[in-house]
Amino acid sequence: MGDKQSHIFDTVKNYYNNYGLRAKELKGEGKQFIGYVCSLVPLEIITASGCTPFRVRGSVHEPITRGDTLLETIVCPYYRSVFDLSVKGKYNFLSGLVIPHGCDSMVRSFSAWSYGLPFSYFHFVNIPSVCDESSLEFFDAELDAFRKSLEKFTGKAITEEHLRQAIRVHNENRDKVRALYEMRKADPPLISGTELTMTLTAGSSLPIEESNGLFDQILTEVKGRGKSPLKKGPRIFIDGACLDNIELIKLVEELGGNVVADTICNGARDHFPKTEMGGDPISALSRRYLGKINCPKTYRENKAGTFEGDIASRFGDIGAYTKEYKVEGAILYVYKYCDPFGFEVPARKAYYQSLNIPLLPLEDVYSSGTIGQLRTRVQAFLEMIG
Amino acid sequence: MAEEQKEAKPKKRMTATKAAASIGPMVKEFITGTLQAKAEGKYKVAYTFIVCHHEEIFRALDVIPVWTENFAGICGAKRDAERFLQRAESLGFSRSLCTYALCGIGFDQWREELGQMPPEAPWGGQVRPDFMISSGQILCDPRSKWYQASQQFMPDVPIYNIDLPYPLFQENRDHREVLGYYHQYIVKQLRGLVAFLEEQTKKKMDYDRLRELVNLSDRTWNLIDETYKLRRAAPCPMGTGDAMNTMVPINFMMATQKAYDFFVDLKKELEEKIARGEGEVENEKYRLMWGGGLPAWYALNDFNYFNSKGASFPVETTYRMVAPLNEMDLPETKDPIEHLAWRWLGYWTFWYDKAKKRPGSEPDVERLINWIEEYKIDGVVMHEAFSCRTWHVGLIWQLHQLAKIYKPIPVYMIGKGGQKEKVYRELPSLILESDIIDITSYSEVDTRNKIDAFVETLESIQSNRAT
Amino acid sequence: MVFVLGIDIGSAQSKGVILDDQGSLGSFECASGGDFKLTAERMREELLSRAGRSVDDISRTVATGYGSKLVIFADEIKSDIVCLAKGVSSQLPTARTVIDIGDLYTKVLRTDGNGSVHSFILSGKCAGGSGRILQVIARVLQVRVDEIGELSLKSKKRVEFNTGCAVFAETEAISRLSQEVTKEDLLAGLHRALAAQINSLAERIGVEQEVAMVGGGARDAGLVQALKEIRGHDILVPPNPYMTAALGAAIIARESLTIQD
Repeated sequence: MGDKQSHIFDTVKNYYNNYGLRAKELKGEGKQFIGYVCSLVPLEIITASGCTPFRVRGSVHEPITRGDTLLETIVCPYYRSVFDLSVKGKYNFLSGLVIPHGCDSMVRSFSAWSYGLPFSYFHFVNIPSVCDESSLEFFDAELDAFRKSLEKFTGKAITEEHLRQAIRVHNENRDKVRALYEMRKADPPLISGTELTMTLTAGSSLPIEESNGLFDQILTEVKGRGKSPLKKGPRIFIDGACLDNIELIKLVEELGGNVVADTICNGARDHFPKTEMGGDPISALSRRYLGKINCPKTYRENKAGTFEGDIASRFGDIGAYTKEYKVEGAILYVYKYCDPFGFEVPARKAYYQSLNIPLLPLEDVYSSGTIGQLRTRVQAFLEMIG
Repeated sequence: MAEEQKEAKPKKRMTATKAAASIGPMVKEFITGTLQAKAEGKYKVAYTFIVCHHEEIFRALDVIPVWTENFAGICGAKRDAERFLQRAESLGFSRSLCTYALCGIGFDQWREELGQMPPEAPWGGQVRPDFMISSGQILCDPRSKWYQASQQFMPDVPIYNIDLPYPLFQENRDHREVLGYYHQYIVKQLRGLVAFLEEQTKKKMDYDRLRELVNLSDRTWNLIDETYKLRRAAPCPMGTGDAMNTMVPINFMMATQKAYDFFVDLKKELEEKIARGEGEVENEKYRLMWGGGLPAWYALNDFNYFNSKGASFPVETTYRMVAPLNEMDLPETKDPIEHLAWRWLGYWTFWYDKAKKRPGSEPDVERLINWIEEYKIDGVVMHEAFSCRTWHVGLIWQLHQLAKIYKPIPVYMIGKGGQKEKVYRELPSLILESDIIDITSYSEVDTRNKIDAFVETLESIQSNRAT
Repeated sequence: MVFVLGIDIGSAQSKGVILDDQGSLGSFECASGGDFKLTAERMREELLSRAGRSVDDISRTVATGYGSKLVIFADEIKSDIVCLAKGVSSQLPTARTVIDIGDLYTKVLRTDGNGSVHSFILSGKCAGGSGRILQVIARVLQVRVDEIGELSLKSKKRVEFNTGCAVFAETEAISRLSQEVTKEDLLAGLHRALAAQINSLAERIGVEQEVAMVGGGARDAGLVQALKEIRGHDILVPPNPYMTAALGAAIIARESLTIQD
């Protein structure tokens, strides 16, 4: 490992550990940051408005306290943590916040956020729960309303050209993430899962151009590596909702696994689907966010008429990734109280079985306090498949 | 203790009204009716969810709705949900998920495995549906996930999912700006449902019949509103305990003459009780609002426990899924589907304008304030059911916001300088915690201790209230 | 001269107070054990013998606490919320917010200095944020519960403890110990986490100063200190804070005699 590597990864680590560092600096220079939760918020529209989208994170190391005075503990622990940090003022540098209809917890707590936090802009984006022609039409209109509300906030029109430009840079970002994932195909992978998740997390706190620049540097760095930072081990796939921290992945890699692919929101779910260029940009965005982001929140019709056919179409991306990245074992990581994912656990289990990929299902509470318990299970799982 | 509860047969709850007492047999008849309909094969039966404003469409095409939330609630009320919940858990579902859905999925899987009803299924069991109508909405994730999960065990039963969003309240936005495209979308979704049902039943929709049914439920809506407003009387003639029975015609029987007639009778009964000065409790001391949360179906006797302490519940936010149509300003239309969509939006945005006028208010908070005043409420009781985010996230915040902007109780306090000062305080509130049907989450001793403490608090406030 | 009893049968410990017109004649504490009825009988005997009185001398008994319904000789049963307010108001009339840390629940209530309660809240049912966690940790660390406070105050470098849940706390503590963290630092971290959880419970009904802390948990100096630090102001602790509910029950018994007169 050369000095240069540690240099760029040090930058990543710094952005990861001091999350929002760059946003605070740029705010001083007059830039406005708009926070968002969940992969279903169309970031391109925020970028097109001249503001910068900023993914609001939780922290597994910070006990949830203030948040519990306003929000029930039956909310998914990840979301509770994000809320807790927000009401503690960690994100007070933001100018606004956008919450989508990602799950009941988001919908039902919107008032707690919008009345409780000191931001001047709040917006709720309704996301249809089905994907058909009429819902795409509706979603076009809903995204147009989002665009208008941002225009009102910034006082500047968001033109089609702005939107096209934003779509282009966000697509570039996704290409770079794909390229980073390519580095995982080596055995052992050239980039560890810990490094990758840390990089993507850091990226979600930066203006998109800076994120692109950072990913380029990481890519050059990793490509220039002679060897993997990991010892060869079982190639592990992580399936689940938003994992905006490295704890689980680090644990897997400390115990000898190689994390090589995922469907997590802060990974492939969020970064793989691209927006079509050409045509109406709003309509292209609604097709990306509703049609292409494979979230259990969106109901997909069972066209096959069989259970096997249904799971093959709902979870087909998993099958493709596991082949592409030569996956040997998968971890399904679901938060307690998460209805959208929770109701899919048996179907997902069945799907992994159909792929012949051993699966470790975990239900967790988004706290580093449970790492000890996870360690035992992950260790046993790796030994079993290793 | 939990063991004891499970084994103990639930005691029949005392109701204040005759109408409420007539509900039990009605539900039983309804459940057995679905079994019979299926056996005869004359009508299609469909799983579906309440509060979708689609009953009229079902009934116009003679599709028999099987309310799966209702069946889970029945299992809960009969204290017989645990074996179905355990089955769902053994299939890999977490107990932290919606327990209605877990109970339903556990039951379905068992029925499908046996090829017949599980042993001693409550009230004959839940019928195998011909199809399932799920509904993604702006609320309730399980509604679009439950049937999808059940389909694993009956893959030949098709699902049709309708989307019924409404614009969420945003302080700085006039919701009318977006109503147009919401309405268009809902109309298309409902028309999609009509097409699906036509295909399944091989019938054509009779739009005149549909219009009549929509008209019938509109009239029922207004009648329910008038009937429930009678509960403003002191003493209150009917409480929330009874309303957890009378929710049945509101939520499961809409668009039927029977539901309309039920409320004609109930209204008459309440008027008579008021004329006689007869209250839900003999000596009404406190008037409480059930301000949020679904009830613990196995513990409805807790309402009687409140009653035994002189506390009555003239109003509840739960299951009062209607609002006066004449106060909604719905656009005129001859098309019943368009009307259903407007009514849907009118219901969900009912409190928006009022909420905007009061600084710091919000629709759910505004409703609390309005009803506290209209029903002369002394305290608010809520229930946090751990397994349901839909109805139970946001309640703490609502109480917090209510306390912040609304302080109706004058009290004298000894100030810092030792002199008496008149200050205003918020309405007291109580949050009970357990679940809709998971009895292992419930402790009668703890619940009643909390109720005791709350009633003693009300007593203490009443005696210290400044005039 | 009238004599009254206040008896508080808690889920872990039982407490009792005997009063006359002037003040306390004695108090007693013991483990509640499995038979609350028997414990109540024993409590009465102990209190009577401390005051040198017989059953016939007692004009009124008020019972409170988890097992209060099994105090069959009680004249009245009162909720511990009301008893706590009464007890605190008699000792600390300036207190407006009372935090009671018991074995199963933490309770927070707001009062007016006359012993009337305005609002209250209880911690969730999983024993998170209650005193139970201290017992669990004492067992893990093999120390006595009453040593915890002093140990915690000696901490030099508090561990960041992440959970206030009694179940997870145990495994988290064990995994921390395997990282060679000292008992003192671990306890200080736990106290901090617990205090933060208690504070957020209190914030849910709003905290008005001054704040008093009572119940078994108030005997733990480390926990009191942690809560002071989090709130950034002083917290009042009456003498014998675990007796507060029993004292309040006895005062209620005495007051109702005066009213009847």
